[in-house]
Amino acid sequence: MTTHPHHLQLTTVDEQSSVRIELHGDLDYDNADLLVQEATARLAARPALTDLHLRCAELGAVDSMGLCALLMIARRATEAGVRLHLDDRPARLERLLSLTGTLGHLTAPPPTRPPAPSATEESAGAARPPGPNSTT
Amino acid sequence: MLIADVQGIVARCNDAAEALLPAATPGTPLADVVPDWLRDAHVGLNSSGARDAPEAGRAAAGDIDGRYFEAHPTVRDDGSVAWWLVDDTDHRLVREALRMERELSAFLAKASSVLLSSLNLERCMDVTAQMATESLADAALVIAPARGHRLPVVTCLRGGTPETATVTVNPDAVPGLGEALRGFPPVPSRWMDPGGAPAWMKPEGMGPIGSIVITPLPGHGVPAGALVLLRRAEAAAFSEEEEVFARLFAARAGAGMSAARLYAEQSSISELLMRELLPPALHQISGVDFAGGYRPSADHERIGGDFYDVHPATVEGDASLVLLGDVCGKGLEAAVLTGRIRNTLHALLPFADDHQRMLNLLNTSMLSSHHTRFATMVLASAVRRGSAVDLKLTSGGHPRPLIVRADGTVEEADTQGALIGVIPAIASTTITTSLAPGESCVLYTDGITEAKGGPMGGDLFGEERLKRALSGCAGMPAEGIVEHVQMLASQWLGDGSHDDMAVVVISAPRTHHLSAVNGHTRGRYTA
Repeated sequence: MTTHPHHLQLTTVDEQSSVRIELHGDLDYDNADLLVQEATARLAARPALTDLHLRCAELGAVDSMGLCALLMIARRATEAGVRLHLDDRPARLERLLSLTGTLGHLTAPPPTRPPAPSATEESAGAARPPGPNSTT
Repeated sequence: MLIADVQGIVARCNDAAEALLPAATPGTPLADVVPDWLRDAHVGLNSSGARDAPEAGRAAAGDIDGRYFEAHPTVRDDGSVAWWLVDDTDHRLVREALRMERELSAFLAKASSVLLSSLNLERCMDVTAQMATESLADAALVIAPARGHRLPVVTCLRGGTPETATVTVNPDAVPGLGEALRGFPPVPSRWMDPGGAPAWMKPEGMGPIGSIVITPLPGHGVPAGALVLLRRAEAAAFSEEEEVFARLFAARAGAGMSAARLYAEQSSISELLMRELLPPALHQISGVDFAGGYRPSADHERIGGDFYDVHPATVEGDASLVLLGDVCGKGLEAAVLTGRIRNTLHALLPFADDHQRMLNLLNTSMLSSHHTRFATMVLASAVRRGSAVDLKLTSGGHPRPLIVRADGTVEEADTQGALIGVIPAIASTTITTSLAPGESCVLYTDGITEAKGGPMGGDLFGEERLKRALSGCAGMPAEGIVEHVQMLASQWLGDGSHDDMAVVVISAPRTHHLSAVNGHTRGRYTA
């Protein structure tokens, strides 16, 4: 057996009111849970978050379980009042999202945020220097 | 300490030696008062010319009065020898115990590795019985929990081969067996009166039985059965250590057997589901040719997420409904979802005319807050009109159907829609077209286009390659196209692993009357 060269690797960068997760490798049956866990953990850790960016430039193959993971993250983000962004989508992902009619759903702005976070919270978040980059 | 002279006469004894050997008073011959091994050592020492003390580690040693002693000689100037007797009993017992423990752990390790390497219950029972006779008993019976009133029993004599039988008895009639087989509450091993053992428990050729122990085989929360150990009348009965050991062995055997059992149950469930979920054989219905092919993933989780069905119209002249889909994931979860989708769609057949409505209803029924598992699928309604076949196609997030025209053109059916089961409100577009005789519509799952292989080994088969292959299939019968596509995908894969692959082809049969009216109508497209 050859070793799998495309294991998913995640790099998470905390920014002022958003989190950016960079995806390297395949998002498939074996790795999809990893991304869901990471994204869920970030959403839970940052209640004042407004945007979750998944940077897909280095993303390899995405299979149905990978899409399933993206849908789950979109659902969690919506529940948390966070908007999901799929940035730098490679052509293959674009094709998959358009074929399955999921692009609009995945990146739709969340419905009006439940009790919007107070301005103080927002400014506190803004005043904080960008958090240290954490790498998983 | 005891001193004996050259003639082998005891010269002196200290108090400790006197206490140990009361008869060894000075003046008595050594041969009369000490055990043979010490006398021999004394004689040997005297006769050896060098009269050197033996090398360390080779001291004479033996039993005196039930205890174990080492005798270290010191040769004195007058030729007499002082024997220093060192009580070595405890040391020796510990060493003996250590050796036994090592043997036991080796045996248990072997038992574990042999038992866990097999997921076959019968084989596990055989191995358990055989290993038990190797070091525990003259004969062993492994009894699996009853199926109804029948008890599967494997019997093995020491050095023999295990034999399987089924006995119809009430286990509660044998003291301790019923409890052991129920597994709860946990019962200790039980002695049993050999005379009270029923005939089926006495292996042929065993002779009179001296002792019997019944030990439960604990499983993973389920009773795995019972182990019965038998010894011949002339053999020693089971000691307490042996009984403990038998329990340890039983724990491993039970774990192995229950793992095998759970595996067998799981694989029978999988098989049952497989049979239920296998796609149907397709044929011509109301003048439209249908053919389908399915190649499940070769993974150990054999049930995949691809499915297809053809539902003939209930009223002649109405369209038959074809559905082909793919559920995300694999294994049992995917299989269960597949089953639900097929059943739901079956129930929705009265709305077969309205694809959007069907997909919407299906979507609503599948929404779940627990997961975002989804399905993609294509619905196709096909009905014969004259010699042509009218088609209505709707995709729910699925790769678009391909239409193979008579001249070899391959068209992508321009239908689009969202996948099913996650998004609360879905939209889809339906297209209609018509197949002239000899033309076909190919529905497939992404297992075909995402088959990884080719000359370099890592390329996807891809849509373009599929289209090129199909353009050579113009005019071929439906079965031929299915086989051709499957063959190409298999060749592309080589030995590589793959996802499920399903293909369904809908064809307008070639008619004998080529002059048929409307024979070459091209498709009409409506959004």
